[in-house]
Amino acid sequence: MIWAGIIICGVITFLIRFIPMSGIISKQLSTSTKNSFKYIPLAVLTPIIINDLSIIQNNTLFFIENYKLYAGLIAIVVSFITNNILATISIGMASYLIMSNFIII
Amino acid sequence: MEIMKKFIIFKQGVLEELPLQLGVFPFGIIYGIMAIESGLTPMQAFLMSSIIFGGASQIAFVQLISNASPFGVIVTTVVAINSRHFLYSISMMEFLKNLSIKWRIGLAYLLTDEAYAISIRRFINEPNKSFIHFHLLGTGITLFLSWQISTLTGVLLGGDLPQFLDLQFIIPLTFIAIIVPMIRSISTFLVVIASAFSGLILKNLDINFWVIISGIIGVMIGIFSAKLDKKI
Repeated sequence: MIWAGIIICGVITFLIRFIPMSGIISKQLSTSTKNSFKYIPLAVLTPIIINDLSIIQNNTLFFIENYKLYAGLIAIVVSFITNNILATISIGMASYLIMSNFIII
Repeated sequence: MEIMKKFIIFKQGVLEELPLQLGVFPFGIIYGIMAIESGLTPMQAFLMSSIIFGGASQIAFVQLISNASPFGVIVTTVVAINSRHFLYSISMMEFLKNLSIKWRIGLAYLLTDEAYAISIRRFINEPNKSFIHFHLLGTGITLFLSWQISTLTGVLLGGDLPQFLDLQFIIPLTFIAIIVPMIRSISTFLVVIASAFSGLILKNLDINFWVIISGIIGVMIGIFSAKLDKKI
Protein backbone atom coordinates (compact mmCIF):
# COMPACT_ATOMS: atom_id res chain seq x y z
CA MET A 1 0.00 0.00 0.00
CA ILE A 2 2.77 2.46 0.94
CA TRP A 3 4.88 1.41 -2.04
CA ALA A 4 1.88 1.90 -4.33
CA GLY A 5 1.31 5.37 -2.86
CA ILE A 6 4.96 6.34 -3.31
CA ILE A 7 5.06 5.13 -6.92
CA ILE A 8 1.73 6.70 -7.93
CA CYS A 9 2.68 10.04 -6.32
CA GLY A 10 6.09 9.83 -8.02
CA VAL A 11 4.57 9.22 -11.46
CA ILE A 12 2.01 12.02 -11.05
CA THR A 13 4.66 14.45 -9.79
CA PHE A 14 6.85 13.64 -12.78
CA LEU A 15 3.93 14.12 -15.21
CA ILE A 16 3.10 17.51 -13.62
CA ARG A 17 6.69 18.58 -14.32
CA PHE A 18 7.00 16.95 -17.74
CA ILE A 19 3.71 17.57 -19.60
CA PRO A 20 4.31 21.28 -20.38
CA MET A 21 7.95 20.57 -21.26
CA SER A 22 6.92 17.72 -23.57
CA GLY A 23 5.85 20.32 -26.13
CA ILE A 24 2.21 19.24 -26.34
CA ILE A 25 0.93 22.55 -24.97
CA SER A 26 3.46 24.84 -26.64
CA LYS A 27 2.12 24.23 -30.14
CA GLN A 28 -1.33 25.54 -29.23
CA LEU A 29 -0.36 28.77 -27.44
CA SER A 30 -0.25 32.29 -28.86
CA THR A 31 2.78 34.58 -28.57
CA SER A 32 1.03 36.85 -26.05
CA THR A 33 0.28 33.86 -23.83
CA LYS A 34 3.90 32.78 -24.04
CA ASN A 35 4.98 36.33 -23.09
CA SER A 36 2.87 36.09 -19.95
CA PHE A 37 5.07 33.20 -18.74
CA LYS A 38 7.65 35.71 -17.56
CA TYR A 39 5.31 36.50 -14.66
CA ILE A 40 5.23 32.88 -13.43
CA PRO A 41 8.31 32.96 -11.15
CA LEU A 42 7.02 36.08 -9.42
CA ALA A 43 3.44 34.85 -9.21
CA VAL A 44 4.33 31.44 -7.77
CA LEU A 45 7.26 32.24 -5.49
CA THR A 46 5.68 35.33 -3.87
CA PRO A 47 2.81 33.42 -2.16
CA ILE A 48 5.33 30.88 -0.82
CA ILE A 49 7.51 33.67 0.58
CA ILE A 50 4.65 35.61 2.13
CA ASN A 51 3.35 32.53 3.95
CA ASP A 52 6.83 31.51 5.11
CA LEU A 53 7.10 34.93 6.76
CA SER A 54 4.28 33.84 9.11
CA ILE A 55 2.31 37.07 8.74
CA ILE A 56 -0.89 35.27 9.73
CA GLN A 57 -0.85 32.89 12.68
CA ASN A 58 -3.98 31.35 14.17
CA ASN A 59 -6.10 33.54 11.86
CA THR A 60 -4.54 36.69 13.32
CA LEU A 61 -2.16 39.18 11.77
CA PHE A 62 1.23 38.71 13.40
CA PHE A 63 3.60 41.68 13.21
CA ILE A 64 5.09 42.35 16.65
CA GLU A 65 7.93 39.94 17.45
CA ASN A 66 7.61 38.46 13.97
CA TYR A 67 11.33 38.29 13.35
CA LYS A 68 10.88 36.36 10.11
CA LEU A 69 8.92 39.30 8.71
CA TYR A 70 11.55 41.83 9.76
CA ALA A 71 14.39 39.66 8.44
CA GLY A 72 12.44 39.20 5.21
CA LEU A 73 12.09 42.97 4.82
CA ILE A 74 15.80 43.42 5.45
CA ALA A 75 16.53 40.76 2.81
CA ILE A 76 14.30 42.60 0.32
CA VAL A 77 16.26 45.81 0.87
CA VAL A 78 19.59 43.98 0.58
CA SER A 79 18.49 42.23 -2.60
CA PHE A 80 17.26 45.51 -4.07
CA ILE A 81 20.58 47.24 -3.35
CA THR A 82 23.06 44.44 -4.07
CA ASN A 83 21.23 42.09 -6.48
CA ASN A 84 23.36 39.38 -4.88
CA ILE A 85 21.86 36.04 -3.77
CA LEU A 86 24.52 35.15 -1.21
CA ALA A 87 24.47 38.62 0.41
CA THR A 88 20.66 38.54 0.60
CA ILE A 89 20.58 35.08 2.19
CA SER A 90 23.42 35.66 4.65
CA ILE A 91 22.30 39.12 5.84
CA GLY A 92 18.66 38.01 6.03
CA MET A 93 19.55 34.87 7.99
CA ALA A 94 21.97 36.69 10.28
CA SER A 95 19.31 39.32 11.01
CA TYR A 96 16.79 36.62 11.83
CA LEU A 97 19.13 34.68 14.13
CA ILE A 98 20.23 37.83 15.96
CA MET A 99 16.66 39.04 16.46
CA SER A 100 15.24 35.69 17.51
CA ASN A 101 18.07 34.85 19.90
CA PHE A 102 19.12 38.18 21.38
CA ILE A 103 16.13 40.50 21.36
CA ILE A 104 13.75 40.21 24.29
CA ILE A 105 10.71 42.46 24.12
CA MET B 1 35.71 23.43 -26.79
CA GLU B 2 32.00 22.76 -26.64
CA ILE B 3 32.54 20.37 -23.76
CA MET B 4 34.32 23.12 -21.83
CA LYS B 5 31.43 25.55 -22.44
CA LYS B 6 28.92 22.96 -21.25
CA PHE B 7 31.01 22.21 -18.19
CA ILE B 8 31.36 25.92 -17.30
CA ILE B 9 27.59 26.47 -17.48
CA PHE B 10 26.97 23.26 -15.51
CA LYS B 11 29.48 24.38 -12.88
CA GLN B 12 27.80 27.79 -12.62
CA GLY B 13 24.52 26.01 -11.89
CA VAL B 14 26.18 23.88 -9.21
CA LEU B 15 27.89 26.85 -7.54
CA GLU B 16 24.77 29.03 -7.59
CA GLU B 17 22.72 26.19 -6.10
CA LEU B 18 25.16 25.40 -3.28
CA PRO B 19 24.17 28.20 -0.83
CA LEU B 20 20.59 26.91 -0.83
CA GLN B 21 21.74 23.60 0.57
CA LEU B 22 22.12 25.27 3.98
CA GLY B 23 18.33 25.21 4.12
CA VAL B 24 17.69 22.07 2.08
CA PHE B 25 19.96 19.79 4.10
CA PRO B 26 18.22 20.19 7.49
CA PHE B 27 14.89 19.87 5.68
CA GLY B 28 16.01 16.51 4.25
CA ILE B 29 17.17 15.28 7.66
CA ILE B 30 13.83 16.24 9.18
CA TYR B 31 11.99 14.40 6.42
CA GLY B 32 14.13 11.27 6.97
CA ILE B 33 13.42 11.27 10.71
CA MET B 34 9.71 11.89 10.25
CA ALA B 35 9.43 9.14 7.64
CA ILE B 36 10.90 6.52 10.00
CA GLU B 37 8.76 7.75 12.90
CA SER B 38 5.62 7.50 10.78
CA GLY B 39 6.26 3.80 10.20
CA LEU B 40 7.95 3.70 6.81
CA THR B 41 10.81 1.26 6.37
CA PRO B 42 14.26 2.84 5.81
CA MET B 43 14.11 1.69 2.18
CA GLN B 44 10.71 3.31 1.61
CA ALA B 45 11.81 6.52 3.31
CA PHE B 46 15.01 6.74 1.29
CA LEU B 47 13.64 5.73 -2.10
CA MET B 48 10.71 8.14 -1.79
CA SER B 49 13.26 10.92 -2.08
CA SER B 50 14.23 9.78 -5.55
CA ILE B 51 10.80 8.52 -6.69
CA ILE B 52 8.79 11.62 -5.71
CA PHE B 53 11.71 14.04 -5.22
CA GLY B 54 9.63 16.84 -3.71
CA GLY B 55 10.38 17.94 -0.14
CA ALA B 56 7.12 19.47 1.03
CA SER B 57 5.00 16.78 -0.62
CA GLN B 58 7.11 14.00 0.95
CA ILE B 59 6.66 15.49 4.41
CA ALA B 60 2.91 15.77 3.82
CA PHE B 61 2.90 12.15 2.60
CA VAL B 62 4.50 10.77 5.77
CA GLN B 63 2.33 12.95 8.04
CA LEU B 64 -0.79 11.60 6.35
CA ILE B 65 0.51 8.01 6.57
CA SER B 66 1.09 8.42 10.30
CA ASN B 67 -2.51 9.70 10.64
CA ALA B 68 -3.76 6.64 8.73
CA SER B 69 -5.29 8.87 6.06
CA PRO B 70 -7.07 7.31 3.07
CA PHE B 71 -5.03 6.63 -0.05
CA GLY B 72 -7.01 9.16 -2.13
CA VAL B 73 -6.34 11.94 0.37
CA ILE B 74 -2.59 11.28 0.25
CA VAL B 75 -2.44 11.33 -3.55
CA THR B 76 -4.64 14.45 -3.81
CA THR B 77 -2.50 16.28 -1.26
CA VAL B 78 0.74 15.43 -3.06
CA VAL B 79 -0.78 16.60 -6.37
CA ALA B 80 -1.98 19.84 -4.75
CA ILE B 81 1.43 20.59 -3.27
CA ASN B 82 3.34 19.78 -6.45
CA SER B 83 0.88 21.46 -8.83
CA ARG B 84 3.02 24.61 -8.89
CA HIS B 85 5.66 22.63 -10.78
CA PHE B 86 3.26 22.65 -13.73
CA LEU B 87 3.65 26.42 -13.94
CA TYR B 88 7.42 26.12 -13.55
CA SER B 89 7.49 23.70 -16.44
CA ILE B 90 5.33 26.01 -18.59
CA SER B 91 7.74 28.89 -18.05
CA MET B 92 10.72 26.65 -18.87
CA MET B 93 9.32 25.09 -22.03
CA GLU B 94 10.25 27.96 -24.35
CA PHE B 95 13.90 27.64 -23.34
CA LEU B 96 14.02 23.87 -23.60
CA LYS B 97 11.76 23.17 -26.58
CA ASN B 98 14.60 22.32 -28.95
CA LEU B 99 16.11 19.67 -26.70
CA SER B 100 15.68 15.97 -27.31
CA ILE B 101 12.96 14.13 -25.44
CA LYS B 102 15.60 12.39 -23.27
CA TRP B 103 16.90 15.76 -22.08
CA ARG B 104 13.42 17.07 -21.37
CA ILE B 105 12.54 13.93 -19.39
CA GLY B 106 15.70 14.32 -17.31
CA LEU B 107 15.28 18.03 -16.71
CA ALA B 108 11.56 17.65 -15.88
CA TYR B 109 12.50 15.13 -13.20
CA LEU B 110 14.99 17.63 -11.71
CA LEU B 111 12.55 20.58 -11.83
CA THR B 112 12.08 21.39 -8.14
CA ASP B 113 11.53 24.74 -6.38
CA GLU B 114 15.16 25.43 -5.61
CA ALA B 115 16.56 24.36 -8.99
CA TYR B 116 13.88 26.33 -10.84
CA ALA B 117 14.31 29.44 -8.71
CA ILE B 118 18.01 29.65 -9.50
CA SER B 119 17.95 28.58 -13.16
CA ILE B 120 14.93 30.58 -14.38
CA ARG B 121 16.75 33.80 -13.59
CA ARG B 122 19.64 32.72 -15.80
CA PHE B 123 17.26 31.52 -18.54
CA ILE B 124 15.42 34.87 -18.61
CA ASN B 125 18.63 36.91 -18.63
CA GLU B 126 20.35 34.78 -21.27
CA PRO B 127 17.52 33.17 -23.28
CA ASN B 128 19.53 32.48 -26.43
CA LYS B 129 22.75 31.31 -24.85
CA SER B 130 23.96 27.94 -26.14
CA PHE B 131 23.85 24.99 -23.76
CA ILE B 132 21.90 27.02 -21.16
CA HIS B 133 20.08 23.79 -20.18
CA PHE B 134 23.32 22.63 -18.55
CA HIS B 135 22.64 25.28 -15.91
CA LEU B 136 19.41 23.57 -14.90
CA LEU B 137 21.25 20.24 -14.99
CA GLY B 138 23.79 21.69 -12.53
CA THR B 139 21.22 23.14 -10.13
CA GLY B 140 19.03 20.04 -10.38
CA ILE B 141 21.78 17.48 -9.78
CA THR B 142 23.18 19.49 -6.86
CA LEU B 143 19.78 19.57 -5.23
CA PHE B 144 19.13 15.90 -5.99
CA LEU B 145 22.38 14.76 -4.36
CA SER B 146 21.91 17.01 -1.36
CA TRP B 147 18.35 15.76 -0.89
CA GLN B 148 19.37 12.08 -1.10
CA ILE B 149 22.29 12.48 1.33
CA SER B 150 20.27 14.52 3.84
CA THR B 151 17.36 12.08 3.67
CA LEU B 152 19.70 9.17 4.29
CA THR B 153 21.25 11.05 7.22
CA GLY B 154 17.80 11.57 8.74
CA VAL B 155 16.85 7.92 8.19
CA LEU B 156 20.04 6.73 9.89
CA LEU B 157 19.91 9.37 12.62
CA GLY B 158 16.37 8.71 13.85
CA GLY B 159 15.30 10.08 17.24
CA ASP B 160 13.87 13.46 18.09
CA LEU B 161 13.58 16.34 15.68
CA PRO B 162 16.70 18.52 15.80
CA GLN B 163 16.50 22.12 16.95
CA PHE B 164 17.85 23.72 13.80
CA LEU B 165 14.50 23.86 12.03
CA ASP B 166 14.80 27.58 11.53
CA LEU B 167 17.51 27.03 8.93
CA GLN B 168 14.60 26.38 6.62
CA PHE B 169 14.10 30.13 6.69
CA ILE B 170 16.90 30.23 4.11
CA ILE B 171 14.41 28.97 1.51
CA PRO B 172 12.13 32.07 1.52
CA LEU B 173 15.22 34.28 1.75
CA THR B 174 16.52 32.63 -1.40
CA PHE B 175 13.23 33.19 -3.17
CA ILE B 176 13.38 36.86 -2.11
CA ALA B 177 16.85 37.09 -3.64
CA ILE B 178 15.46 35.60 -6.85
CA ILE B 179 12.33 37.67 -7.31
CA VAL B 180 13.33 41.17 -6.13
CA PRO B 181 15.61 41.78 -9.14
CA MET B 182 12.74 40.68 -11.41
CA ILE B 183 10.50 43.54 -10.22
CA ARG B 184 11.37 46.05 -12.91
CA SER B 185 8.03 47.37 -14.09
CA ILE B 186 4.55 48.29 -12.90
CA SER B 187 3.13 45.00 -14.12
CA THR B 188 5.71 42.87 -12.27
CA PHE B 189 5.12 44.93 -9.13
CA LEU B 190 1.35 44.38 -9.40
CA VAL B 191 1.91 40.64 -9.95
CA VAL B 192 3.82 40.48 -6.65
CA ILE B 193 1.14 42.41 -4.75
CA ALA B 194 -1.74 40.38 -6.21
CA SER B 195 -0.13 36.97 -5.70
CA ALA B 196 1.02 37.92 -2.18
CA PHE B 197 -2.46 38.91 -1.05
CA SER B 198 -4.20 36.00 -2.74
CA GLY B 199 -1.60 33.56 -1.40
CA LEU B 200 -2.02 34.88 2.12
CA ILE B 201 -5.80 34.68 2.00
CA LEU B 202 -6.14 31.33 0.19
CA LYS B 203 -3.56 29.57 2.39
CA ASN B 204 -5.33 30.72 5.53
CA LEU B 205 -8.66 29.57 4.14
CA ASP B 206 -7.06 26.11 3.84
CA ILE B 207 -7.56 26.03 0.09
CA ASN B 208 -5.56 23.03 -1.18
CA PHE B 209 -4.25 24.52 -4.42
CA TRP B 210 -3.42 27.93 -2.91
CA VAL B 211 -0.03 28.27 -4.59
CA ILE B 212 -1.21 27.52 -8.10
CA ILE B 213 -4.43 29.58 -7.74
CA SER B 214 -2.49 32.61 -6.44
CA GLY B 215 0.03 32.03 -9.22
CA ILE B 216 -2.69 32.11 -11.87
CA ILE B 217 -4.22 35.25 -10.29
CA GLY B 218 -0.77 36.90 -10.34
CA VAL B 219 -0.16 36.01 -13.99
CA MET B 220 -3.65 37.32 -14.97
CA ILE B 221 -2.90 40.62 -13.23
CA GLY B 222 0.41 40.76 -15.10
CA ILE B 223 -1.32 40.24 -18.45
CA PHE B 224 -3.96 42.91 -17.77
CA SER B 225 -1.45 45.44 -16.42
CA ALA B 226 1.21 44.91 -19.08
CA LYS B 227 -0.01 48.03 -20.94
CA LEU B 228 0.85 50.19 -17.93
CA ASP B 229 4.48 49.17 -18.08
CA LYS B 230 7.15 51.77 -17.78
CA LYS B 231 10.54 51.09 -16.29
CA ILE B 232 10.59 52.01 -12.61
